[in-house]
Amino acid sequence: MIRLKNVSKIYPPNVAALQHVSLHIKPGEFVSIVGQSGTGKTTLAKLLFAEEHPSCGEVIIGGWDISKIKHSEVPLLRRQIGVVFQDFKLLPKKTVSENVAFALEVAGASVKRIREVVPQVLKIVNLHDCGDRYPRQLSGGEQQRVAIARALAHKPKIIVADEPTGNLDTINAHEIINLLKKINEFGTTVVLVTHNREVVNHLRRRVITLQDGNIISDEEEGRYRL
Amino acid sequence: MRLLLRIIKFAFQHFFRNFWLSLVTVSMLTLTFLTVDVLLGLNLATDAAINNVEKRVDVSVTFKIGTEEAEVKNAASYLRSLPEVEDVGFVTPDEALTDFKTKHANNPTVLASLDEVGGNPFGYELIVRARSADNYPMILEALDHPSFRDFIEAKDFTSHETVLASLSDVTVKARWFGFTLLAIFLAIAVLIVFNTVRVTIFVHREEISIMRLVGAAGWFIRAPYLVEAFIFSLTALIISGLVVVPAVLIFNPLFDAYFETSSQLQNFFIGQAFWVFGLEFVGAALVCMASTAFAMRRYLKV
Repeated sequence: MIRLKNVSKIYPPNVAALQHVSLHIKPGEFVSIVGQSGTGKTTLAKLLFAEEHPSCGEVIIGGWDISKIKHSEVPLLRRQIGVVFQDFKLLPKKTVSENVAFALEVAGASVKRIREVVPQVLKIVNLHDCGDRYPRQLSGGEQQRVAIARALAHKPKIIVADEPTGNLDTINAHEIINLLKKINEFGTTVVLVTHNREVVNHLRRRVITLQDGNIISDEEEGRYRL
Repeated sequence: MRLLLRIIKFAFQHFFRNFWLSLVTVSMLTLTFLTVDVLLGLNLATDAAINNVEKRVDVSVTFKIGTEEAEVKNAASYLRSLPEVEDVGFVTPDEALTDFKTKHANNPTVLASLDEVGGNPFGYELIVRARSADNYPMILEALDHPSFRDFIEAKDFTSHETVLASLSDVTVKARWFGFTLLAIFLAIAVLIVFNTVRVTIFVHREEISIMRLVGAAGWFIRAPYLVEAFIFSLTALIISGLVVVPAVLIFNPLFDAYFETSSQLQNFFIGQAFWVFGLEFVGAALVCMASTAFAMRRYLKV
């Protein structure tokens, strides 16, 4: 599903965010990428949805080498990968339903499809009663669930979550992780970027640990070891 | 079609969410349109004035006293045969005397001087009207024909020449002033459109980043800004039309009375409205879109 072959990312003038990283994530896996701040976790996540391009090496998603992806092809890739961020990235002037619908609107989905999909994904994240509310009327955990619902709108095969619990308290963080587990159980590959020890240890799934841009451990049922 | 409707929807959202910026942009474009319309009106007025003066211009050729009627008629038929000549009027000495008396009926001193001269002091006269003002020098040259040049006392064209020259001088100056004003307004409009798009991009930066993340194509993100430029031009055109059309209807009778035309102003601005306003709109929309494209190239990274 996701394969990185000897990937490095060097920012000018000579800052290496990732160095010769190789990894393989199989379809349906739930992988946590952990490490301290500045170890290259977010850079790795950005490579997966082509927000960044590797300085060298190959990034292959579902057989598609996106290392040198054309600018015009990036939207197609992003419709197959759901992305969730720490700061939710919701539009404050749109309601919950409109925020989710926005992802489908800009991709050219029909009104009929939007009317079908939006309630479905809001139900998955347990916000089916909050469609008419605005982000400011929701708690942090609920806002992150809206972001996840939006990420699910295209029915992606991969969800990349970059520090999704970073702005949340423990209870809300657990809710979000449980939601990601539920999505993973439906067959979606989840790549979770985090430095939350409790979350990683609770998950008991594969853990890839980064340090100074290198993978220092890759364990099937790992724990947070830094 | 679906995407086009969504692009139009986003363009209207940009337009109304930055209402004050949009208002300034539309105002400037409206001023530009009005300047173009005033310039076109001015052009019509100067054309009408030139036509009017040209219609009144003629060369009056006075023959020496004692010249035979046959000689004068010979000159008249020669002039009529010239393609540049529209019409040749024939005035006998008696008619000239009667005209003179009628004209100065209230001036006994002038009439008394006639008595002192004794007899008819007027010779034959030809009034030559050319097809165009440019033909007069050629007609004056033709009057030097050897068969009748010795009979000619005077050729009077000078005063009209001065009027025509000063009229075309005023026309050129007015046009230059108009074009300069137009260029200034257009430059300001371009800068304002550029700034509006820049600010709109800044205001929508969050929305743009989310659009990119959820898979919106680059052209889909850019297109609403171009459509917005189109909306600016269309709104400005409608507002300027709402000013120009009533103004034309009000000024048309005055224009006709002054320049002796027949609904020329109305026929131009209302009869040919599709072309006049259509071309203005196409020009403004292209300029606005070019300005928008430049602003996007600089500030919108998608």
